[in-house]
Amino acid sequence: MSAKGKPFFLWRHLNKLRWLTLATVFSMLVLLPFLHVYQTYVAAHAYDLLAPQEKELYDTMETLTSPLVSDPAEDLDAIKGNTWSGNIFGLKLSDPLAAIGQMAAGRNLYTPFLLTALIPVLFSVLFGRFYCGWICPASFLYELNSNLAILLRRMGLHTGHRHLDKRFKYLVLAAGLVFSMVTGSIAVAAIYPPAVVGRELYYAIALGGFGAGSVFFVATLLFDLLVAQRGFCRYLCPGGALYSLLGRYRLLRIQRIVGNCNDCAKCNAVCEFGLDPLRDGFGQECNNCTACIAVCPTDALTFEIKLKDVGYQGPGHLGKRYQREHQATQGTEKAA
Amino acid sequence: MQRRTFIKSIGVAAAAAAAPAVSSAALTERSSLRYLRPPGSLAEDEFVSRCIRCGQCGEACPNRCISYFGLGNGMASLDTPYIIPRDKGCILCMKCGDVCPSGAIKPITRGLKPILEGVHMGHAVVDEHLCLSYQGKSCGVCYRACPLPDVAISVGMMEQPHVSDKCVGCGLCERACIQMPQAIRIIPAHA
Repeated sequence: MSAKGKPFFLWRHLNKLRWLTLATVFSMLVLLPFLHVYQTYVAAHAYDLLAPQEKELYDTMETLTSPLVSDPAEDLDAIKGNTWSGNIFGLKLSDPLAAIGQMAAGRNLYTPFLLTALIPVLFSVLFGRFYCGWICPASFLYELNSNLAILLRRMGLHTGHRHLDKRFKYLVLAAGLVFSMVTGSIAVAAIYPPAVVGRELYYAIALGGFGAGSVFFVATLLFDLLVAQRGFCRYLCPGGALYSLLGRYRLLRIQRIVGNCNDCAKCNAVCEFGLDPLRDGFGQECNNCTACIAVCPTDALTFEIKLKDVGYQGPGHLGKRYQREHQATQGTEKAA
Repeated sequence: MQRRTFIKSIGVAAAAAAAPAVSSAALTERSSLRYLRPPGSLAEDEFVSRCIRCGQCGEACPNRCISYFGLGNGMASLDTPYIIPRDKGCILCMKCGDVCPSGAIKPITRGLKPILEGVHMGHAVVDEHLCLSYQGKSCGVCYRACPLPDVAISVGMMEQPHVSDKCVGCGLCERACIQMPQAIRIIPAHA
């Protein structure tokens, strides 16, 4: 065993917690529009006039919320919005991309709104691109989509595995902001999947139909399926680019314990973002999803508090290559 | 790709993105749809640049009168909120301003004075050729629908409506008008 020892045992269960968080955020985005519709029914005081389906919705929402709130029309306002910008018990939170996009579109600073992005920015500086892996409702669908790709491959169908330049998303971010500035309208909101998903779910449930953004989102799903796995997040997402930049010197990062590693490369296979944990290649793109920690058979990956990646530490000490080289050097030492 | 070539390509892309500046007029071109912005909204251009398209104003609206633009009103106002007064007027509950994080809709207290000062959605105009009261059939529906009666609308002989300068343009009168087409309609502030 190496000097660093085993990683904290809970780290390898974090991936389950992450799926739970993603699913919770997504189901909240589905539930909130229903609650809004329910609130409008309550406010109208006209239960008897509702259509049968509307009554069904009313009753379901009443059973769900009655243990928690006494006055639905007012109390359910406590949680509103989506991950792009929302309100949780009076705390207004917004996506950093929304703040920067508004700054670009309006060409001025509106402090009360910028402050709502402060907490997400702080978290991103500390934990990097964690939003992408832990909260983003589009990530939830994209990860299900990449599972679908695995299923399709098993059925013998061809799915995309192209490698593009991951720096292209910074270009998308820059172009999106320039475009926002030129048109005076926040253009990045239309090409940022979590904003689109939150909005479209609301349109579909409360306003009776998907809007223009759903076409864009389906196109990104197809892009992931046919061109590159998780391609949109890796190569095109403007928000991902911003979070990557914010998290460049993040404090908490996944690192390899070279003494425990046996070079099995399961981490590289499981990494949705196509990073290279096997050769210590995490970088600013890592979204702390912990899938590599969960899959590692020898407990060689762990969280560490560091400002920079260590760089390639050589082959894993439990791997054949290291042992062959090591025996060879020992052999020469003995011979000498 | 080298960093230098990458930075060069950023420059090229920025130029490509700036090119539409010439044709940005085409992007901000608006339809002939007569719509209102939610109460307390900033002036149209400022509103479009401030609004982040989060959809919270619609989610807060108990009257469900706020809808969102698709591509029909130009790219610039994609996903921005609007109200069609003939479909559903605004009840001036002022919840959308409270919930708006971006400052595109100002928060306004629900009271006569703050509403008169802060809400400028439009202004009601009566078509006397269509209005029943002006045709000798006493009606007065718009007056009864108005949330600011005697302030925004007063009625004269035969309940003929007279709109004052204080009308904020909520659209409840247009929604209530029993004539088809409506004899009273809101001229939006941004038009």
